[in-house]
Amino acid sequence: MITMTHYLVFSALLFCISVAGIFINRKNILLLLMSIELMLLSVNTNFIIFSNYSNDITGQVFVFFILAVAAAESAIGLAIIVSLFRARNSLEINLINKLKG
Amino acid sequence: MDIISILFYLVTSVVIISSIGLIIVNNTVHAALLLVLIFFNTAVLWLMMNAEFLAIVLVLVYVGAVLVLFLFVIMLLDIQVKKTVSKKLYLLFSVTISAIMFAELYLVIFYHDFQNSTVEIVNKNTSNTYEIGLLLFTEHIFSFEVTAFILLVAIIAAIAINMTDRQRALRQDPGKQILETKEKRLKILKDDEL
Repeated sequence: MITMTHYLVFSALLFCISVAGIFINRKNILLLLMSIELMLLSVNTNFIIFSNYSNDITGQVFVFFILAVAAAESAIGLAIIVSLFRARNSLEINLINKLKG
Repeated sequence: MDIISILFYLVTSVVIISSIGLIIVNNTVHAALLLVLIFFNTAVLWLMMNAEFLAIVLVLVYVGAVLVLFLFVIMLLDIQVKKTVSKKLYLLFSVTISAIMFAELYLVIFYHDFQNSTVEIVNKNTSNTYEIGLLLFTEHIFSFEVTAFILLVAIIAAIAINMTDRQRALRQDPGKQILETKEKRLKILKDDEL
């Protein structure tokens, strides 16, 4: 029988994998953006689990808002990546140190 | 094992394996395609939790729009795939931190003990979309309008960030037009020059 704990452990595992992805990636900023998307997905899954648990549909309304904001965020992020690639001709995260004091 | 358990373990194992693949793969196109797989399987998982509307929205908005945008950017940028292996230190650091985080979350989940609460597919009289719409357009109408404004801001910002390249744009320059003279542009040709 699948209980709520199963779903919560799955969501926690997905979140931790995406955190590890942000630390591991040193060569491509696009993969970093994808890891952030994965994190948002696991958080949304958590929202839906607890919406189901407490029998309250408001959690799903929140997921709707998070999806809209995440779509806007990834659109702007990709625009920044395109202009960064034009300026630096590379996407390596190690090389992005212009603002270092 | 009933059919729901089998479906759950299938979907979650696909998601976990492909997310591990996503963070260690070198090729960005492969990563984007793995992300498509992850989103699709998570939509199935959301369907199992009675969130039909959001499952459809996830497939339509994410797989249909955001990941296509990712693939477009990957194809436009012409990134060289380098075989740069990240340092062992980073790998150790990331695995340690995520393991600590997972242990903490696991303890919190088991401390609260949700064991006896099952996620069930219940039959309701009203549809999920109807309920979300009812709440969205009454109680959360202000947040809904703000979301629309955020999307507008995203459109304008995404265009404005990449509008800096002015030399290539085909538009009139009034200053240059005023400074032009007749002598620069016109030349009277004689018969023997033709």
